[in-house]
Amino acid sequence: MKINNKLIFAVAFSLMLTSCADKLDVNPIDDVDAISAVKTSSDVEALLTGAYDSMTDADVLGGNLQRDAELIADNGDIEWQGTFVAPGEVFSKSLLKDNNQAQTTWLDSYRTINITNNVLANLAVVETAKKSRIEGEAKLIRAWMHFELVRQYAKTYLDGTPTSNLGVPILTTPTTIITETNFVKRNTVAEVYQAVIADLTSAESLLPAGNGFFADKYTAAALLSRVYLMQGNYEGARQAAHRVIASGNYTLNASFFDVFNNKTNTTEDIFAAQATDQDYVNSYNTFFGSTSQGGRGDIIINEQHLNAYDVSDDRGLFFYESGDIYTAKWAVQVANIPLIRLAEMYLTRAEGNLRAGGTPIGTTPLADINRLRDRVGAKLFTTVDLATILKERRLELAFEGHWIHDIKRNKQTISKRNGTATQTWAFDSPKLIFPIPLREIDANKNLVQNEGYQ
Amino acid sequence: MNKRLLFSLIMFLGCSLSMIAQDRRITGKVVSAGDGSPLPGVSVQIKGTSKGTSTDATGSYAINIPSGKSSIEFRSVGFYSKTVEIVGQSTINVALSESENSLGEVVVVGYGTQKKTNLTGNVAQISAKTIENLPVLTTEQAIQGRAAGVFVESGNGKVGQGIKMRIRGSSSVSAGNDPLYVIDGIPMTTTAAGSRADTPNPMADINFNDIESIEILKDASAAAIYGARGSNGVVLLTTKRGKSGKTNFNVSYFTGMSEATGRREFLNTAQYVELFKEARANAGFSLAGGETRFTRYALGERARWENPASPNYTNTNWEDQVLRKGNINQFDLNINGGTDKTKFYASGSYSKQEGILVKNSFERISSRVNLDHKATDNLSIGVNASIARTLNTRLANDNAFSTPMQIIALAPLSPVIDPRTGDYTDTYNDADVTQYYNPLMNISYASNTTETYRTLGNVYAQWNIVPSLSFRTEYGFDMSFRNDDEYYGKKTKRNSGQANGEGFKRNINIFNYNTNNFFTFGKIFDQKHDLNVVAGMSYQQSKRTAIDATSRNYPSDIYKTISSGATKADANSFERTFSFLSYFSRVNYKFDNKYLIGLSGRVDGSSRFGANNRYGFFPSASAGWILSEENFLKDIRQVSFLKLRASYGYTGNAEIDNFASVGLFSALNSANNSAGYASIPGQTPFQLSNPDLKWEKTAQTDIGFEIGFFNNRISAEVDYYSKNTTDLLLNVNIPGTSGFGTQLKNVGELENKGWEFVLKTDNKFGDLTWRASINAATNTNKILNLQGQVITGGYLNRAVEGQPLSVFVGPEYAGVDPANGDALYYLNTTKADGSLDKTTTNDVNLAANVPIGNPNPKWIGGFTNDFNYKGIDLSITFQGVYGNDVYNGAGKFMSANGDFYDNQTIDQLARWQKPGDITTVPQARYVGGNGTAESSRYLSDASYTRLKTVTLGYNFPKTITDKLKLSKLRVYATANNLLTFTKYTGWDPEVNTDYLTGVAAGNDFYSAPQPKTITVGLNLGF
Repeated sequence: MKINNKLIFAVAFSLMLTSCADKLDVNPIDDVDAISAVKTSSDVEALLTGAYDSMTDADVLGGNLQRDAELIADNGDIEWQGTFVAPGEVFSKSLLKDNNQAQTTWLDSYRTINITNNVLANLAVVETAKKSRIEGEAKLIRAWMHFELVRQYAKTYLDGTPTSNLGVPILTTPTTIITETNFVKRNTVAEVYQAVIADLTSAESLLPAGNGFFADKYTAAALLSRVYLMQGNYEGARQAAHRVIASGNYTLNASFFDVFNNKTNTTEDIFAAQATDQDYVNSYNTFFGSTSQGGRGDIIINEQHLNAYDVSDDRGLFFYESGDIYTAKWAVQVANIPLIRLAEMYLTRAEGNLRAGGTPIGTTPLADINRLRDRVGAKLFTTVDLATILKERRLELAFEGHWIHDIKRNKQTISKRNGTATQTWAFDSPKLIFPIPLREIDANKNLVQNEGYQ
Repeated sequence: MNKRLLFSLIMFLGCSLSMIAQDRRITGKVVSAGDGSPLPGVSVQIKGTSKGTSTDATGSYAINIPSGKSSIEFRSVGFYSKTVEIVGQSTINVALSESENSLGEVVVVGYGTQKKTNLTGNVAQISAKTIENLPVLTTEQAIQGRAAGVFVESGNGKVGQGIKMRIRGSSSVSAGNDPLYVIDGIPMTTTAAGSRADTPNPMADINFNDIESIEILKDASAAAIYGARGSNGVVLLTTKRGKSGKTNFNVSYFTGMSEATGRREFLNTAQYVELFKEARANAGFSLAGGETRFTRYALGERARWENPASPNYTNTNWEDQVLRKGNINQFDLNINGGTDKTKFYASGSYSKQEGILVKNSFERISSRVNLDHKATDNLSIGVNASIARTLNTRLANDNAFSTPMQIIALAPLSPVIDPRTGDYTDTYNDADVTQYYNPLMNISYASNTTETYRTLGNVYAQWNIVPSLSFRTEYGFDMSFRNDDEYYGKKTKRNSGQANGEGFKRNINIFNYNTNNFFTFGKIFDQKHDLNVVAGMSYQQSKRTAIDATSRNYPSDIYKTISSGATKADANSFERTFSFLSYFSRVNYKFDNKYLIGLSGRVDGSSRFGANNRYGFFPSASAGWILSEENFLKDIRQVSFLKLRASYGYTGNAEIDNFASVGLFSALNSANNSAGYASIPGQTPFQLSNPDLKWEKTAQTDIGFEIGFFNNRISAEVDYYSKNTTDLLLNVNIPGTSGFGTQLKNVGELENKGWEFVLKTDNKFGDLTWRASINAATNTNKILNLQGQVITGGYLNRAVEGQPLSVFVGPEYAGVDPANGDALYYLNTTKADGSLDKTTTNDVNLAANVPIGNPNPKWIGGFTNDFNYKGIDLSITFQGVYGNDVYNGAGKFMSANGDFYDNQTIDQLARWQKPGDITTVPQARYVGGNGTAESSRYLSDASYTRLKTVTLGYNFPKTITDKLKLSKLRVYATANNLLTFTKYTGWDPEVNTDYLTGVAAGNDFYSAPQPKTITVGLNLGF
């Protein structure tokens, strides 16, 4: 009897042991196994949507990239009074090599590129009717990211020899595992521009003329106009800007005040980051908005900037006081972020027409500039030259992330009062270029650090 | 043997009777004072001679006393020795009382118990008695300073938050470093949901007055039975059980108050104005601009900051507004008793603590029932169950403007209350008055609570199949239901960014169950071969689900629920499961009571690991030699016990994400928000796969000895250990150009080496007993290999080869240039001859990053003294850490020589002002960044010694308790953290900010000081 009991027990015990082993196969519930994630056309579309989301992340086009373009260019127009260390270093033009923003912008931009590469590698499963659009959108996003990266982390195109100046690595394949090939080298500035132009040109031809609030043919053209401007290719810039304007898809808002703080795109938006109550990123608001407007109140506007507007210029009124003075462009937290708007195209066409010479395309530079001034009630010009166009560009596009790039491509010098002395930075000062993130240099010995950060 | 003894006794007696007629013969019995049981083997010695005998199996003895000798000493291991004067009696019966320093005591080890004498591993034991009624929330806090090699750190003075515990250093870089907690055989859920350290501490759900003993398994031979989770040590908690006999009621109550251990001094209004005027002038800013700012802070009234004679002149000490006197109250009742067949322990407890920070409190109500029943002669069954409800009123983490301690950044120029609004000074007419959000607004207009229901239970059956073999099966579970509720009212808009209120609610449910099934075999063969074998299996599964929702736009602050918000802004869910399947065995063999051998092994399988490496094997071997049992030592009376022991074995670490080996896509983006865009669904690649992912393995060697002198009146234990962790589970930085920042890989190696010393003494002088215990431990941590990676964390923390984990690496501050007031840094670049270039520079970017400090203490220790004299008991515990540094991450704001409008620490007044000034505080320059870069300027030595606990109690004598019909009546007073000795200039040297994780360690960032608590209490028994 006793023996039997033990026997039964032993059998029961060993059964228990064997029945447990399959309990170790626990599958993820919140996330999905990479193999089953991209199988259908809608899976690829979801990836593409993920790329838009990633591109408009706070550290990329959700505001921080543009914020830094304003901070690093500052000549006393604004003041940084925040507690975040990284933008503080950008503002004082003394980035440390471990600057956290330099790191996150880099990571999130390449993260976005990898998503687009995943889309492009899986085009085979996409429904035929959607194929060119999806390919075009993915290429556009990839190009935009490479373009921002090369502007942020490398010498500007017009500085020295772009064919030998180091740009950033160009990535065109998705990452599945890490091998030696992932330890990439920096391509030259010229190579990056070439890749960007190739992607955008292809996107412009692949994309439809309208695509809701997603990127379309004219988003690609508008981006091309920016790229050409950076290269000093005024012919290309004015052509591209003109294609956008001439499409008739966009019109200026009647009032400048209507351009910003909207939850839906306005007629002026060529491309805007979308905000919904449930899902929005607005890093512009975080830093440029006062605390009463949901921001941190970190960037305040000085008199020097306010004085640059005509008394009658509406744009000079687009500020508000909340303890200090803030720009009203980013006063609302849950609002679309205009990333490319028609006004920029007029400015680019005007500048392109002026600098390329010959017969103006579309209309004269004077007409394009006065079109913008007329809207805001500023005194109309009778003639324009490069300086007036550039000043107009500064006032129209202030705090929208263009400033440092305009300074660099026009080889201007930044002068800023520092105590009793005046400090200056030439357009090619290494201080105006972000360091390759320290973590990246540490993780990839094939990368060469920028001057001043070795 | 017995016959021979008898014979010699008879011979001896015969001789003595006939020859030495004046010798007296004394007989008697020796029993334990505790339970009256007879004590065999007690040495009975005539004082002043070497003559003696020992008691037999019934505790009886007989001895002849030569003339002129008048006292007998009774000695036994584990008991106080006792000397009895002979005054004519012929029978002397003695009751020996048990001493605390008992080597004979039983120690709980994994899946069983062992006699401490027989241990071949290193196990620290803390008896519940020593920590009873301490005015702290969690077990970890209670044992701080009481176990060698166990480092406990409360990050700050907020109640209910996570505590850091490290046993023999940190063995991992990216995986967890917290020990495994096992309560009555069930691995507990100890990681809170959420990744930050400011999450509530699950250990606070346990009433540690229900704990009978705490055992900490430190070396491999002790911990390897927990295999894949043993690398960080194992803490075994055993709860109290009933005893047969009369039913005992024990009631305890204590009440007390607490305040901060330290304060800092900040600038007053006059000093503030002076410094910032100077700072602006030095940086070329206008005087008017500064004055406008001062006036803004001063509610638009210049006189408030300018004219001390004005009735409105303001000089606010903001620190006083958030640090308050806290209080603590606890009531405990427990009942235990039973019959031979059924025993029970039941308890109930209520505890409430108001923290030293405003709006921070913790409340716990808990109850436990433990039942044991002997169903038949060879079958016992039992059940344990505890339930607890805790309510934690919480604060924002240290990095939030709304956390109370950040109030010290506000200028003293603003009054606490703005008379124009009748509210805390913050904004007026939608414009900011104070520079930063006033955290006091959150006190009035926000709430943040966490309520947890926690149930721990297990049932067991033990079948004694034959006397030497038993089988035990246990099934236990640990369930927790947690509700987080936050509401930010309209007036917190400046901080929350929400004009019409924001509500957040989250439910987190964890169901963790475990079953252990094992055989225990124990038999002594031929009186010399003592064999113990344990073998069995266990399975654990833990499932965690969470759901949260955020609402915005509330009609008014009276409405606070998610439903009431007009905009449902966000909702998230979370579900994760992990499982462990394990087989384990341990063999202990003792030969001739002298030679000990232990072997153990565990095979662990886990769902967390890659398909290629799902199972791991963790063996250990150990040996001990009880030299005091050898003949050559037996005659050395002074040495009562001596054991050498050594062990070697492997343990693992599996504390990583549940699906770390799988390549994943996610519908969430890198910011953990939806990867969708404009409400259109999206997905993104989220994690790279690594099918080879496996355990992190730690090989540990431990060599030690235990020695007892004078019948163990003095005992010592010394251990040397070396822990070598390989296959580190590391979040390896990979090129970000891949689209991923890190990948979890098994890369690298680190080591921890150290010594542990325990010295105890246990003395009885008449009515006075004095026990003392000193423990001290060193640990040296060094990263041997990370494949060249540098992992950053905190402000300056690094994981880098050749340095201890979390070492501070940064520019070395060189003070101030006397010529111009510039902050200087050493270049510290390596020169051709290998030495460091100590030339200074004012450009911090030119200064090399070098190791400048270590957050890991060189030594940790504790010193406890317990005195008992006629009902009076006094216990004094000191605790300390030595040789660690703390980095003040807020230094760049609060000690920044007037860099920005944050109020400054008083030491900033020593700033450089004119050429020739010698100081370490640079010239004040408004937004000049002069010396504000992260550097050794903000690093300081944080060694401290603390008078951790003092308790003075009085037990009323039996004459009084009998009258009151009580069995026990004790009143006492306890002080916790009464005195702190340190050179650290911050609030408190025991600090680690609650918002940083990863390799961050030893950082102060507006972290609240620890509480200093004084309580009085009473224990009643009847």
